[in-house]
Amino acid sequence: MPESQIVFENIIKTFGEAVAVEKMSFSIEQGEFLAIMGSSGCGKTTTLRMLAGLEIPSEGEIRLNGERINELAPAKRNTPLVWQSLALFPFLTVLENVEFGLKMHGIEKTERRERALKWLDRMEIGEFAERSIDQLSGGQRQRVALARALVTEPPVLLLDEPLSALDANLVVRMQGVLSKLQKELGITFVYVTHSQSEAFAMADRVVIMSKGLIEQIGTPQQVFREPATRFVAEFVGSNNIISGKVSSKHSDVHRTDLFQGVPYTVDTDLGEVVISSGELDLGATVELVISSDRMDISFDPSDLENQFPCKLVSEEFVGSIVTLLVETENGMELKIQKQHKDIENIQLQTGQALWVSWERKSAYIIPGR
Amino acid sequence: MRADKLIRWFLWGYLGLVFLFIFAPIVTSIIFSFNSDRFPTIPLGSFTWKWYQTIYNDPDVWDAAKTSVIVALSTSCLATFIGFCTAYTDFRYQFKGKNSYLVLALLPPTIPLIILALAMLAWFSKIGLSGQVWSIVIAHTVLCAPFAMAVIRLRLQQMDPDLESAAWNLGASEWSAMRYVIVPFAMPAIVSSMCLTMAVSFDEFAVAWFVSGLNKTIPVIILEILQGNIDPQINAIGTFVFVTSITLVILAQLIFMLRTPGSASNA
Repeated sequence: MPESQIVFENIIKTFGEAVAVEKMSFSIEQGEFLAIMGSSGCGKTTTLRMLAGLEIPSEGEIRLNGERINELAPAKRNTPLVWQSLALFPFLTVLENVEFGLKMHGIEKTERRERALKWLDRMEIGEFAERSIDQLSGGQRQRVALARALVTEPPVLLLDEPLSALDANLVVRMQGVLSKLQKELGITFVYVTHSQSEAFAMADRVVIMSKGLIEQIGTPQQVFREPATRFVAEFVGSNNIISGKVSSKHSDVHRTDLFQGVPYTVDTDLGEVVISSGELDLGATVELVISSDRMDISFDPSDLENQFPCKLVSEEFVGSIVTLLVETENGMELKIQKQHKDIENIQLQTGQALWVSWERKSAYIIPGR
Repeated sequence: MRADKLIRWFLWGYLGLVFLFIFAPIVTSIIFSFNSDRFPTIPLGSFTWKWYQTIYNDPDVWDAAKTSVIVALSTSCLATFIGFCTAYTDFRYQFKGKNSYLVLALLPPTIPLIILALAMLAWFSKIGLSGQVWSIVIAHTVLCAPFAMAVIRLRLQQMDPDLESAAWNLGASEWSAMRYVIVPFAMPAIVSSMCLTMAVSFDEFAVAWFVSGLNKTIPVIILEILQGNIDPQINAIGTFVFVTSITLVILAQLIFMLRTPGSASNA
């Protein structure tokens, strides 16, 4: 089997005492849209810069198409980067900016003009060719940066938080542009971001990093529904995480339960919680991850399992989704997300007594260390 | 309302006085350069070009002017080149002792000119280089390079540090990045620095007087004429020097302040 297009093998990068990237191994397939995600300082940008040749790994090996590129000069890689600051050349026109890469690769004038104009048209900014950069809006500059990076028809495009300076609605539009572009060109995109929505909207696979380590690699669905670690569960947004200890295995296994796993009881700060899981050791520590959209509230208790009394702390309305924050009797805060249309007719007041519940299969189990 | 107006008038008057204080001597010199009387007295005599004709016909003044121009041009190129290199080192690299490096690079203008001039003279005679045009050029370069560096450094500080990396990333070698990105970006500062160092060199007297030998520059010949007798052609030469310098300095300022695309505006 041929090797993946890009391979990171045991990569370590240190700056003096500080460790930016700690023993990292992963690979990227040709034509894949890979997002590297993490909070600032997690090493995601350093990873991207090593791929571009702007940083040299302290240890390990990076291979591009099977060849070691650790020390290869950035100019010899053809791995253009779309910068967070865009880094457009302010003393050149839009057209000259786009031509720059071709000029550096020794393409003669008429051809490079033609190719640059073609890319400007493709990015729908052909009419601005002769303008200077500071006459353009943020979104237009973004398109110039993309055209400049793609004009040499590289096998890999690197993007470092390219949309972080744009307005929310423009971000969504540019996501569409990027996704479409990547599919049409069939080239590899490596996209660094701190934004979950950007990563999930576009990426085939997501790498979650924290403190120089990879926490999880997987599809957006996997990362969202089956977080590998507590960090991932917290990072990818609206999860409730409850720690506990497995106390007993149920003997009354129904036939239907067999398909969903074995029911266990877990002792948590809330009390006894029933879960459904693969084999677990009795007495093992586990983290229960319950997505906030899989929790329910009611005014009165019923005979549901995993039901606990609580008090409404706050209600946050963000468009079609409402996030309710409740506090249980022992002081644990839980988040519950509901569609606004589902609860708009219910009168909720802060401080109101409610019951929170969830189905046993809604809890995703992370085995404790 | 009334009080505001009063303060305004007072401030305008104050400003006028300051400018009068600064420029009165020069203006006087310019006025007397067109005065027909030999001695600078009031009332003025009639208008005349006589003193300008005198210096125009004086081969010594021409020689001095030629020397000054050669020295100023060479100095401005050399000093700007050295200043650019120093400023770029500061922009690009982090190293131990960088602060000392910068302080050393900025030191020459803080040394009293006479001391610097004496040291230069002693040094040049040791290495057999005294009394040549080149010795003035070298001495002036030492004096001017820090100004060049300060101006260019200011410009490079406005540059997005990603620009250079972006050039490499797009396939530019280190030299191409220098040629197509760093130098074009710094160009306003480079031209401005050339004007400024040219003006400094053109005006400079003390060092030139010590190391010039027989190759007198304009300021040196002014002193020589002055020592001989009272002669209004001094005013004429003075006016010429003043106009040249002030033009260069204003030019430097204008070029540097040309709207610098991409620095402030798209921050």
